[in-house]
Amino acid sequence: MDEGVRQVYTEAEKQEIFEKEFLPHINAMYNFGYRLTLERDDAKDLVQDTYFKAYRFIESFQKGTNAKAWLFRILKNSFINDYRKKTKEPSKVDYQEVETYYNSDDVHRQITPDLRVDSLKDMIGDEISNALNSLDVDFRTVIILCDLEGFKYEEMAKILDIPIGTVRSRLHRARQLLKDKLSEYAKSMGYKNT
Amino acid sequence: MSEPTNPFVSSSGRRATCMEMLQLFLDGEVTTEQREYFLSHMDHCMPCFKSYQVDMAIKQLLKDRCCGDGAPVDLVAQIKAQIIQKDS
Repeated sequence: MDEGVRQVYTEAEKQEIFEKEFLPHINAMYNFGYRLTLERDDAKDLVQDTYFKAYRFIESFQKGTNAKAWLFRILKNSFINDYRKKTKEPSKVDYQEVETYYNSDDVHRQITPDLRVDSLKDMIGDEISNALNSLDVDFRTVIILCDLEGFKYEEMAKILDIPIGTVRSRLHRARQLLKDKLSEYAKSMGYKNT
Repeated sequence: MSEPTNPFVSSSGRRATCMEMLQLFLDGEVTTEQREYFLSHMDHCMPCFKSYQVDMAIKQLLKDRCCGDGAPVDLVAQIKAQIIQKDS
């Protein structure tokens, strides 16, 4: 993801990179687009636009490096710069509060889970997907990158242009919010929380 | 048996909280030493053990149910057509 160094590729090399390094991530990219926009047509447009940009700026990509992270970064930027502007302004999350929360001395008290594993095992419908989709997009994003796609914190920091400490605290807060939502579902399914 | 040295202590001397250790462990962001320390910590920290079970179950549920069915079949063809069209 070093955008400062330009590579020189022949047309054949460009095609090869595109086919062998970019296109294999199409399903993960589409799912990322869908989870961000929550609309299938918008996801398709976003992915198409991302691949177009990736091809156009292919000389900024170093062959054999982390293509998936590079593509995810382009998609995330397209979403913020193009898609979000066309739609409503997103709600702003108070990250200062998140940092304070994460670093506070109360953390020991809050570790005891409010959910039980057996209630999660019964969530075989759309509960988890709906819970994820209900989160603010910035919280949703870190969960997608970490739990669905398995990116490391360092990769997430580069994709999102935020420090690793912020990745950790945002992820922590996102999971708390997701658990709150899942607890509501568990209660509605008749589970009594501990 | 004495407690092993805590490998989660930061350079400033601050000890990581249970929640911080758990998150790093869950996401595979620990060193071998930290991993072993946390596994032995869970043997006597019930809140960490319980939270780990729940957090892992959620992580697995997300992976199983939120990764989608894949991109529409015509998407790759459309992307290629767009590149060829705008490249020429």
